[in-house]
Amino acid sequence: MLVLDAGNALFKSPTPGGDPKEKERAGLLLEQMDALGTTAMAVGARDLTLGTDCLARATKGRTMKLLSANLVDAAGKPLFPASTVATGGGVKFGLVGLSPEGPVTPQKGVVGSPPVPAALAESRRLREKEKVDVVVVLAAVPYQDAVKLSQEVGNAVDFILHSHEGRGQGVAQRNDFASLVPTGERGRQVGRLELSVEGKGPFVDLSEEERARQQLKILDTHLQQARQSLAAAKDEKVRKTWEETIASFEARRKALELQVEPGKQGLGRTHRLSYIQLGSNVADDSAVKQLVERIEPPGSASH
Amino acid sequence: MRLRLALLAVLALLLTPLVAGAAPRQVVLLFTGDNGGEIAPCG
Repeated sequence: MLVLDAGNALFKSPTPGGDPKEKERAGLLLEQMDALGTTAMAVGARDLTLGTDCLARATKGRTMKLLSANLVDAAGKPLFPASTVATGGGVKFGLVGLSPEGPVTPQKGVVGSPPVPAALAESRRLREKEKVDVVVVLAAVPYQDAVKLSQEVGNAVDFILHSHEGRGQGVAQRNDFASLVPTGERGRQVGRLELSVEGKGPFVDLSEEERARQQLKILDTHLQQARQSLAAAKDEKVRKTWEETIASFEARRKALELQVEPGKQGLGRTHRLSYIQLGSNVADDSAVKQLVERIEPPGSASH
Repeated sequence: MRLRLALLAVLALLLTPLVAGAAPRQVVLLFTGDNGGEIAPCG
């Protein structure tokens, strides 16, 4: 098992000063993410609120790696490692971090270079030189850049875990080879990608097949009702409308049947995406709770 | 020589099902994103 973070973890806003306890909060988050065994995190806009120096100091000596393939200083020198390699379940992963393009608000000279070419170059290097099995890009970039990456990166990347706008949870989207995965928001859930890895080729989404099965069930009920309505209809115009409806349902049924064809389960590279909701049913860790309450006492506005 | 060839053939036969039936590697990735500085349930 590997634990990852797609970035924008530490601050509420990319500009400083909005919250007097922002530094303490960020420090606690970094400490706890490290203690949880997080392998790597992308450096997003809401991780850079107090600048890169502060972030580098806060992460010194920690196991968790902060990654950015495109964040550079005024001299064009990279500020964080572009990637790291980690192994889990016998699978060798290449993990790439991406930051948003453009200047970093609180720090002069620090800039995010165009993310797509940076991710492509690093992913290719990981495939060719490091011989990784799976490439995951932790993309703390605007959604349109993440989509662009998924369309332009070809087979250099397998998964793009996206953060930036707080889009919440959702389904995996495959535009070409790579699957673009939403990562949740505000600590309300943990994403879970169950991978089965053998051979090459794009990962097949097993959740898609499950969704298609559920849609087929609903569609079959609708089809049955439409056929009954057609049988009961006397008026020619009404009958024609029902016939057209049934034809469109049947066409949709054919398309869905293709998605639930047996055999996908045994394919070499598959994934199943789900989210664990962190509601009141998940018990607090008493030690962590104490640390939180030092910053946010019970009854305070943010608690 | 003949014995060695026979041994190689037996080895190949024994290993084939292992290779053909090798199960895909299973691994789970847990991930978060856009936490936005949250440390408390409503904070």
